[in-house]
Amino acid sequence: MDELELLKSKWQTTEQEFPVLSFNDIYKMLLKKSSSIVKWIFIISIAELLFWLTLALLVPESTQKFIEEMGMDTVFLIINIFNYCVFAFFIYLFWTNHKKIQVTDSVKTLMKNILKTRQTVKYFVIYNVGTTILLMIGVNIFYYLHRDELAAAVQKSTTQYDAVPPEVFTKVFFMGQIIGGIIMIGLVLLFYRIIYGILLKRLKGNYDELEKMEM
Amino acid sequence: MEKELEHKFVTELEANQNIVHKICRLYTNNRDAHNDLFQEITIQLWRAYPKFRGDSKFSTWMYRVALNTAITLYRKSKRRIKTQDFEGVSFKISSEDYDDTVEEQLKLMYAAVKDLNDIEKALVFLYLEDKNYKEISATLGISEVNSRVKMNRIKVKLRNVLNP
Repeated sequence: MDELELLKSKWQTTEQEFPVLSFNDIYKMLLKKSSSIVKWIFIISIAELLFWLTLALLVPESTQKFIEEMGMDTVFLIINIFNYCVFAFFIYLFWTNHKKIQVTDSVKTLMKNILKTRQTVKYFVIYNVGTTILLMIGVNIFYYLHRDELAAAVQKSTTQYDAVPPEVFTKVFFMGQIIGGIIMIGLVLLFYRIIYGILLKRLKGNYDELEKMEM
Repeated sequence: MEKELEHKFVTELEANQNIVHKICRLYTNNRDAHNDLFQEITIQLWRAYPKFRGDSKFSTWMYRVALNTAITLYRKSKRRIKTQDFEGVSFKISSEDYDDTVEEQLKLMYAAVKDLNDIEKALVFLYLEDKNYKEISATLGISEVNSRVKMNRIKVKLRNVLNP
């Protein structure tokens, strides 16, 4: 007889030795907290949404003043309104996707829904990183074209650059913008590598395995 | 009402706990991880229980939630994978028909099954539980034909592992 058939016959006719849990053992488990991957993904996604939301909301007063000095307040207002509409849309998508995750679905559907939820947050971050880069490029080009007014506006709104001699001001200012931008994007990318590495590697692998079977 | 539901759920799970134990044994390598996974499956079953309408058997419904938890939701920690205190499967074979070679064969077979990947293991598990391909394909979410094809491939693979 085939070994698998042997195992199958024994599997059903012979009892396997397992610890026997009592009613109370099981009852106690109901009170424990889940540590499932969905829970972790949910927590991390909410943290990401909040991170970008607070980043958008927390504009320092000096920056606000500076923007006014440069005469860009109307443009920024329009960009902000648009931004919040997009945020609301992403949060809605994230929520409906998360709601769809059901442990009673088939293995494949469950995996697909988890990956989809994660994908939404990924797009949200890509959107944010993308718009941040675009905005930085656009704003800096604008600054460069108005570099004479820039020095005056900076002086009026913040004391950060007081120690910088006027001759090198433009250089220092733009270097600061570039380095700051690179560091921020680097941090976001690092964060992603870690999260994808830890949380989703196995899930993605198993999902691909199921996809392969359907080909 | 809540208490009543809890009582009903725990009673049913207690009666069917062997199914969960079999899955835990297949997907983990030591006692700690086994208990950990059992607990997570219990939590997931309990969460989904209010929606369990009873249009299928409790045990049938359990397979899906338990496998989903083992394959998708459960987070294995590296620390746990390294230690191994299970000898593999231990069947309670009665002393009168005890046979050394059978016991040995079973052990080898079980070890080979444990070496399969998560999805293949789920397929074999359902096969060993004597589920038909219709049920297997519905649980995994792939077509019936494909689960049949895959199962045949796994059989060949296992045969090659055991008789090189």
